[in-house]
Amino acid sequence: MKNIRFFASFFITLILIYLLNNSWPIGGNRIPPLGKFLDPFHGFWQNIEPKNYTGPEALTIQGLNNPVTIVYDSLLIPHIFADNDEDLYLAQGYVTATHRLWQMEFQTHAAAGRLSEVLGEGPNGAILDLDRGQRRAGLGYAANHAVEAMIRDSTIRMVAEKYTEGINAYIATLHYKNLPIEYKLLDYSPENWSTLKCAYLLKRMAFTLNSGDKDIEMTNALKLFGKETLDLLYPDREPATDPIVDNAGNWKFNPINLDSVPLALPDELIKINKLPGADPTTGSNNWAVSGSKTATGSPILCGDPHLNLSLPSIWFAIQLTAPGVNVMGASLPGSPAIIIGFNDSVAWSVTNAQRDLIDWFKITYQDSGKNKYRLDDQWVDTKKVVEEFKIRGKETLYDTVIYTHWGPVPYDENYHAENELKSYAFRWITHDGTEELKTFFQLNRAKNHSDYMKAVDYYGAPAQNFAFASVSGDIAMRIQGKYPVRRKEEGKFVLDGSRSSNGWQAFIPNEQNIMYKNPERGFVSSANQYPADSTYPYYITATSYEAYRNRRINQVLRETNNITVQDMIKLQGDNYNLKAAESLPMFIAMLNPATLNEEEKKALDILKSWDYFNHAGSEGASYYEAWWDNLMPLIWDEMQHDKIVLQTPTTYNTIKLMKEQPDLSFFDVQATDEKETAREVVQQSFSKGVQDILKWKADHQSNSPLWADYKDSYMGHLLRLQPFSIHVKHGGNHDIVNAHSRTHGPSWRMVASLEKTGVKTWAVYPGGQSGNPGSYYYNNLLDQWTADQLYPMVFVNTPDEMKTKSLYSTTFNPNSK
Amino acid sequence: MKFFIQLVAIIFIAFILELFLPWWCIAMASFAGGYALKSRFNFLAGFLGIGLLWLAKAGLIDATGSSPLAEQVATIFSLNKTLLYLATVLIGGLVGGFASMSGATLKKAKR
Repeated sequence: MKNIRFFASFFITLILIYLLNNSWPIGGNRIPPLGKFLDPFHGFWQNIEPKNYTGPEALTIQGLNNPVTIVYDSLLIPHIFADNDEDLYLAQGYVTATHRLWQMEFQTHAAAGRLSEVLGEGPNGAILDLDRGQRRAGLGYAANHAVEAMIRDSTIRMVAEKYTEGINAYIATLHYKNLPIEYKLLDYSPENWSTLKCAYLLKRMAFTLNSGDKDIEMTNALKLFGKETLDLLYPDREPATDPIVDNAGNWKFNPINLDSVPLALPDELIKINKLPGADPTTGSNNWAVSGSKTATGSPILCGDPHLNLSLPSIWFAIQLTAPGVNVMGASLPGSPAIIIGFNDSVAWSVTNAQRDLIDWFKITYQDSGKNKYRLDDQWVDTKKVVEEFKIRGKETLYDTVIYTHWGPVPYDENYHAENELKSYAFRWITHDGTEELKTFFQLNRAKNHSDYMKAVDYYGAPAQNFAFASVSGDIAMRIQGKYPVRRKEEGKFVLDGSRSSNGWQAFIPNEQNIMYKNPERGFVSSANQYPADSTYPYYITATSYEAYRNRRINQVLRETNNITVQDMIKLQGDNYNLKAAESLPMFIAMLNPATLNEEEKKALDILKSWDYFNHAGSEGASYYEAWWDNLMPLIWDEMQHDKIVLQTPTTYNTIKLMKEQPDLSFFDVQATDEKETAREVVQQSFSKGVQDILKWKADHQSNSPLWADYKDSYMGHLLRLQPFSIHVKHGGNHDIVNAHSRTHGPSWRMVASLEKTGVKTWAVYPGGQSGNPGSYYYNNLLDQWTADQLYPMVFVNTPDEMKTKSLYSTTFNPNSK
Repeated sequence: MKFFIQLVAIIFIAFILELFLPWWCIAMASFAGGYALKSRFNFLAGFLGIGLLWLAKAGLIDATGSSPLAEQVATIFSLNKTLLYLATVLIGGLVGGFASMSGATLKKAKR
């Protein structure tokens, strides 16, 4: 009897420990191992950072040559002081991992199509579908090419390997107790870092920025609407833009000429349920003003890259100091060096260069075995790559992807396509191995304009507009990427993949890329608009070009002299809605006032008195947006098909067509018997917009739909965990200089004044330096960002200068063996 | 009196072991307390011992913390903070309780 009582209670104890030491899927969710997770000595409670937290004073780290000093300033920005480059990048890896390890690994898992390993297949297999999409787009193929390029260059190899070593040194110190909370919630552990992961991270950024294309959409539109309508709806160039480089008549080089045989236009409908590419609202601003226009007489450089604002924050601010380099700015967690920043001589910032860098080639297989395909009158072998998906909680999935001369075939009968007879291979510039890290390594050390030019020469993809300014007084802009030389209309439609001559024959030589230095107008600027004036000799096409921010920025820069840093900060936060200013008077004129009800009359009054600024407290901005959001789908109802992808024409072109051709057949709403023109759709969408606002008012029990409330911007945690995400009340919108839409916005803001007495810089970003939701520094920068204000950056030469400005400092000591 | 000595001993041993071993060391501490210092309420000693230790530690971290993480984690599990504390105490307490009962019954069985 006594024995039974012992065995029973002992058995229950063991069962409890077993149950509470493992994670269990319950109702589609996975609950963490509750004993481990709730134990306050090791579990999630340990992720709650104490007030006034400071890190260790000293650490011993394997692989260092000499001691390295890291001093944190009050914003938790680390300032690294090393004796040599090797130690510098090792320390950067260690420090970045200390604050952002989970995010770094999660993002590289996403790029590598491995999220289902930690998250399972997701609701309706959504996560697995994303994973397969990344693999089928050839992200791994691209990352491997990037690693090959890295290994060929001894400097880049050292940088990537030391950075990797630093991350792994940090991972080696981890126990369950100090794992980031996301690992504890999902019950998994970090794996070792590698240079391949650095490559994945950079390719992931290329995917975010440069994966947009319209070839399939344009091919479908051509078939459905004909060439004339296609050119009307999707012009190569819109008349509105103020090009990034206006150098009319001064392109003095001999361009590469390809044969002038026009390409055959395709005649087909493509039924592919295409994955979304780069978000068209992802854009950025950068500009540099020459000393002739500033109050101090020194150049000022400004930059704010716009991305999907997520948490942990996209960027990690850091200063890197070693003999020959002293640079500070925004780094990408997972990539060594500084991507956007400044040193004691120069500053630079990037925006995305809109250019078509993707082509789709139609493949003709010999038979359904898909072992051979037609190329230049021969049957050529395909390469079949088997992708393995170790799905958590399910059996491993194997997926065969076919590779051709052009690249992978992402869509086939097994993935997102209707018809297995038609296959298209995907050629993407990002598949090539290029040396972006070399660009950043050299830019970090640049002293002047010629160093900047040499550094940018190495840059391939994703194509970027590099704005530059130097203490010596130069400003410059260079639109850099690896650009295929294109024949007219090439790249707009799908191409015949059976002729290798249909591919990219040559790339534009670096010196023929679009660029200029110290233009007469006294500033350079880019905001994702059309890159050059019409005399640039190469054919250019892209998914779309920005039409509003660029003109507003240039207008303000043109009109302002004696520019101060404050003026520039104000311009970054500028809420002027040029699109509304150009369209609202026309909309209002099209309304028939006699038909309006009481609510609509009130709305019209608010709109009439609106100043076109999307300030946080504006009501007019909300009414305009509600109107616009109903107008676009009503006009372009023709673009909504079940199985066929089409592209909605741009905002700018839509407004232009409404003005110039209000009777165009596209304004007719297909679902109604009546024949609508622009006038009727404006009227209908106005009523719908007012109803949406009424509904919003009722839902929110509010009488005033203030813009910030109505827009309700949101910064989501990467795991879509609502409690770790933040709603932000802020002005601005897409198409506005202060480009904060509901989900996208300025992910980093920087203003650098390049004074001879020392470079002064201000910066901010939404979120904070720590990736830990349990830290004060997870989102401590957000309020300043939301107020459109920046922090002065602490930029020093030696650790001693940090004494009064430091939060704490840590010495990394080499292992004295 | 015996009960209180047992209770304090379990808290003390568990606290020391938690510094070096994973969470399940609470079972070792409670088992030892149950075996060596058997009282009339062995389950309660383990349950309260670990429950109180975990409550105190969690409360201390939370009170001196710089973020509302406990609240947020509670929300992730559709709980509120009070229930999250309760879950912490209950889970630690159950393991502690059964483990100290095991220790005490083993001693009885050996006699």
